[in-house]
Amino acid sequence: MGEQAADRVKPALRELVVEASRALARLDADRLEELALTCQVLNRDMHCAPVLTGAGTRRDLAGEAREAVADLAVFGRVLDATRANLHVMCRLRDLRQGRREYVSERTAGELTSIHWIGPGTESKHGNN
Amino acid sequence: MGTISAAFGLISQALDADQSALSIVSNNVGNANTPGYTREVPDWQENAPIYVNGVAYGSGVSQTGPTSIRDKVLLERLNQQQQLSSASSARLTALDNVQALFPPDSGTSSASAGDIGSDITKFFSSFSSLESNPTDNALRQQVLSSATTLAGDISNAAASLNGQKSALDQDASGVTSQVNALTGAIAQLNQQIQSTSPNADAGTLEDQRQQDIGALSQLVGINQTTTENNGLTITTTSGALLVSESQSFQMTTGPVAGVTHFFLGGADVTASLASGGGELGGDLTARDQDIPNALSSLDQLAYNVSTQVNTVNNGGTDLAGDNGGAGDIFFQPAAVAGSASTMAVVMTDPNHIAAAGLGLGTGDNSNAVAMANLANQTIVGGATPTNFYSNFVTTLGSTVSGVQTDNTAQAASVTQLQTQNNALSQVSLDDEASSMQVLERSYQAASQVFTLLNTIMASALNLGEQTTVT
Repeated sequence: MGEQAADRVKPALRELVVEASRALARLDADRLEELALTCQVLNRDMHCAPVLTGAGTRRDLAGEAREAVADLAVFGRVLDATRANLHVMCRLRDLRQGRREYVSERTAGELTSIHWIGPGTESKHGNN
Repeated sequence: MGTISAAFGLISQALDADQSALSIVSNNVGNANTPGYTREVPDWQENAPIYVNGVAYGSGVSQTGPTSIRDKVLLERLNQQQQLSSASSARLTALDNVQALFPPDSGTSSASAGDIGSDITKFFSSFSSLESNPTDNALRQQVLSSATTLAGDISNAAASLNGQKSALDQDASGVTSQVNALTGAIAQLNQQIQSTSPNADAGTLEDQRQQDIGALSQLVGINQTTTENNGLTITTTSGALLVSESQSFQMTTGPVAGVTHFFLGGADVTASLASGGGELGGDLTARDQDIPNALSSLDQLAYNVSTQVNTVNNGGTDLAGDNGGAGDIFFQPAAVAGSASTMAVVMTDPNHIAAAGLGLGTGDNSNAVAMANLANQTIVGGATPTNFYSNFVTTLGSTVSGVQTDNTAQAASVTQLQTQNNALSQVSLDDEASSMQVLERSYQAASQVFTLLNTIMASALNLGEQTTVT
């Protein structure tokens, strides 16, 4: 049980961070969810599996963590970039969800037309 | 308004609108693989009702032309990220070339070209060897040989850096003509768009304009502002005008202090372009910041090593018995700047290496010990020569790593935004097929209504008549 846990930990750390950056770049929510669950398992193993409490294993893990520092920095930057892109994406989500608005147009008090603003059309949204 | 002929009018409009919408869908399908094409959707508009005696009668539908599905906020964000990504990409390429000149000390005995850290160690070690037998000609020759290798590697590295600087300078100059071609094209498109679509999306023309803006964003950092009648003003990130509606402003170049500078409207915008983004920004950052920094470190190393070694050599006694006038080993630079390029060994006779202390006889080794000890003294920028070089290589590596991180993150950001933009604006054949089916059914329904109305009209015309009208 303990050895299995160690095997699970050994190759994962750096690849996990790199894969998280890739998934975030693709906005792959499912993959990110999987990776988050994997992290949870890693944390649990760290605290619970007896084989991982050994000094040697902890040293190995610390080494792995050091190796992953650069990739973690990349992940942090991708996260920052994603956060900065979020307002644009939220705006798009609103457009896609198609908040159809029933708009009437009047000219000099006369009703000239009534039309639906369908999903995706930009004319009544935003500042463009 | 409640008459059969009015119903005919309504359903004719519906058929026209459906046909028009079908042609829009067909155009989308036709352009599914056209680069830069933005999908269009029909814009349906319900006509205002007509009131007769207080009763509202619908007056049909109009199809008021296609609307391109684009989001300019998203496109602008994409362009901004593209500028950053292109800048870090260009800078990273240049930095990789710089870093290749300074490999970390391999620890091997062979003097691989450019392995300056190893050269420094070997040079000072050759004095340690000379300590044991200060009159040995082979050991003296070894000192000059290792000095020549060190000087050669440093001057070669400086020459390579200067060569890279020149190459970047040429690349940057080449970008200018591309920028000018694009700004000219955008100004022309502005004029066309303002005259043909002042109040609505310009469809194909807007697609072309967006493509040109995207290409411009890869080259240079820009800001864009929408003006009246669908026009556009484009400035550099520092505010210098590149395009103002139908007018473009040519970027020019000229030599200043040995490098190409960039001018817009007579003002030198080189510094602001360097920090602005795009390929030009990356090239200029590498040319004006990264390479000069590397050269400056090499100059400092070359100047201090040459000066200190020459000073110690001139403070001892050589094999010919010269007391305090043995001469320089390295060419003595007049100033720090340029020291790396000119670093060379000027001593040709190994007997002039002053291994002995002043006035202590030619067999003494105390000056050779002093020379060897320079390796452990903080004679270059507050560090030993080896540590100074090591710090320089580490700092360079750290800069490369930082730019690499930025570039990866920016590329990810561009991917995110590009994916979003594709999902919004690219033609999806599945969606088009679905639209086509809906429109087909709508057209069939309208045709059916038309046929029924025709029958009803015939019945109405035949009321009380012997002859049948069909």
